[in-house]
Amino acid sequence: MKVTVDEQTCDHHGQCMIACPEVFNLVSPDRLEYVAEPDESLRDCVEEAESACPTLSIMIED
Amino acid sequence: MGDMATTSEVPYFDVSDPDFSVSSAEVLAARERSWYARTNFGIAVLRYEQTSALLKDRRLRQGSFAWPEQHGITEGLLHRWWSLLMLSVEGDDHRRLRRLANPAFSRALMEEMVPGFKLLAGELIDAFAERGRCEFVSGFAEPYSARVLCRLVGLDESRWRDLSHWSTDIGLAFGVTIGRDRERIEAGLRNMYGLADELIAERRREPGGDVISALVQAHDGEGRLSHEELEAMITLIVFGGMDTTKNQLGLALQLFIDHPDQWELLAREPDLAPRAVEEVIRWNPTVVWTTRRATEDLTVEGLDIPAGTTMHLLSPPANTDPLAVGDEPFDITVERRAHFGFGGGAHHCLGHWLARIDMREALPILARRLRRPRLERAPVLRPISGVTGPVELPITFDPGADA
Repeated sequence: MKVTVDEQTCDHHGQCMIACPEVFNLVSPDRLEYVAEPDESLRDCVEEAESACPTLSIMIED
Repeated sequence: MGDMATTSEVPYFDVSDPDFSVSSAEVLAARERSWYARTNFGIAVLRYEQTSALLKDRRLRQGSFAWPEQHGITEGLLHRWWSLLMLSVEGDDHRRLRRLANPAFSRALMEEMVPGFKLLAGELIDAFAERGRCEFVSGFAEPYSARVLCRLVGLDESRWRDLSHWSTDIGLAFGVTIGRDRERIEAGLRNMYGLADELIAERRREPGGDVISALVQAHDGEGRLSHEELEAMITLIVFGGMDTTKNQLGLALQLFIDHPDQWELLAREPDLAPRAVEEVIRWNPTVVWTTRRATEDLTVEGLDIPAGTTMHLLSPPANTDPLAVGDEPFDITVERRAHFGFGGGAHHCLGHWLARIDMREALPILARRLRRPRLERAPVLRPISGVTGPVELPITFDPGADA
């Protein structure tokens, strides 16, 4: 599983981190860190983050 | 680092004054001088960048958690309800509640309701269109938002009036008159709790695919939600989704009455609806005021903010801050930086897709069928505090065809 976050549209609300802190970490109000190739076992949690993002900035590639 | 500006240069506002308006010329003028103002109760933030950063900064918590207590309400139903709200809790409890509620408000689920939104908008307009006049709040904004909410929670739509009245009463809790209105707020809450218990019992007997069934399952099956939290969550969903959209639709129409060319444009080009919704909220948000409270000592742009300080984030001046978005007029064709009408950060509005999508459907239909809307007489306005919007908006228009 490959995760990308569109840095142009990401508005750093941190909803992804609420949904899936194993993969997403809002370090500060203007910086998001994330695991680009998380383990397959985290799929549900990453999909939850994708859906929770208010700006639809998270993309999952299989 | 200390306070960079001397006290005399920093604007001051009395935010407890019922006449204080976040959209006033005074506030906008203050924004040109300073990114913040001192108030009788914490710091007011006036510009875009600082509002954006503070909304998302995890060293601050949502600021309204102690609102009832600050107004002398220290026990009873309102106090208890408030303490259980997702808005009032932080950390692990907030995370648990938010994750339970999120799936029910996903964009995909809201998109499924679109055909129903279109039909509902058409049906409501049919009832008054031929007359060429209506009171827009009771004729459209209120039944539209209330019946959408009934659909969301799987409740018989004939009960929308009760829900709407109770929501209006509960909404008074977010205003500066919470102390004076306590009895009315608690009556609204008792009614809403009765409804929540009814829905819980019904979905326990016959589970469905709706949000209430999912929450009941989280309580019964997995114990991830206490009974009290379940009731509070349902009341928040019903209340939070209704009053806000009702008021935002009224504010939208007021704006378009003042900008007839933009209304014509939306009628001709319904694909502009998503931008129109964002532009309406940028200019005239129903939630004009969010708060945060510092949980530790902070320094923001040279200003020392001690732990415990309340920060008032005022969305009208921040949304229109010339430093961030330019000194731009109301224009539904332009894509701009995000507004703060849905708050931001961990407490970003849960129901924003519902609000966005149901308004995206309603506005172009209204623009086609209510041509050249104008005020029949002056609207009756709710005070600018908590949730803002017209209470009565009597208009006339030229009936148009929905072709």
